[in-house]
Amino acid sequence: MKILAVCGFGVGSSLILKMTITKALKELGLDAEVVNTDITDAKSYRADAIFTSPQFVSDLTGSVKATLYPINKYSDKEEVKQQLKTLFNQN
Amino acid sequence: MVEAIPCSRIQIVEAVDDYQAAITLAAKPLLEEGFIETPYIQAMLDALETHGPYIVLADHFALPHARPSEAVKQTGLSLLLVREAVDVKTNPVHVFIVLAAKDDHAHIKVLGGLAEFLMEPQNIQDIIAASTRDDVHTLLKERWTLT
Repeated sequence: MKILAVCGFGVGSSLILKMTITKALKELGLDAEVVNTDITDAKSYRADAIFTSPQFVSDLTGSVKATLYPINKYSDKEEVKQQLKTLFNQN
Repeated sequence: MVEAIPCSRIQIVEAVDDYQAAITLAAKPLLEEGFIETPYIQAMLDALETHGPYIVLADHFALPHARPSEAVKQTGLSLLLVREAVDVKTNPVHVFIVLAAKDDHAHIKVLGGLAEFLMEPQNIQDIIAASTRDDVHTLLKERWTLT
């Protein structure tokens, strides 16, 4: 399982989101590889799931194979956990 | 980096006109200390217009930043606490931390500590409740672990 955390530049927010996902995975006892990148690279990156803002979910819809999971607040561990549960239940 | 945000880069104000004013003011210490040049402030504002408000990483907290560029001379952070909530595209925000990253790597360690800090919602509540910038500074030093 490979999860991509995406923001506009790939340097700040997506890194924070990656850390939130990593922490949430650990607390849920789940395992996945988490990588962060920017919105441009996200389109050519191979991943199973993409976690990003609702606006970027709209931008990426139709141009990526990965399943898209919107996250409103990148540091909200509970929101991230809910999306992780959905992701892992579907696979 | 000995500490994430020194006292000289922490500001507290009652209110600002809008989020553009908040971000500009929040970045002022970095501008004055030569960490950034003015185009970086515009780049942060443009990013918010283009990409939306995902920089609101937690309730009442935003991390304005833009891509590393020529306008960033040194990696650093500054903090602005606004007593009256600022509307950032429908999100009420009290705490702004400006991130200036010189390259793709230098800030990673400091952001690791910030990620942990933000995952505990009480931390932002406590910054909002702080009375002086010394209080904010002390709180950050105690709870923002630098690895």
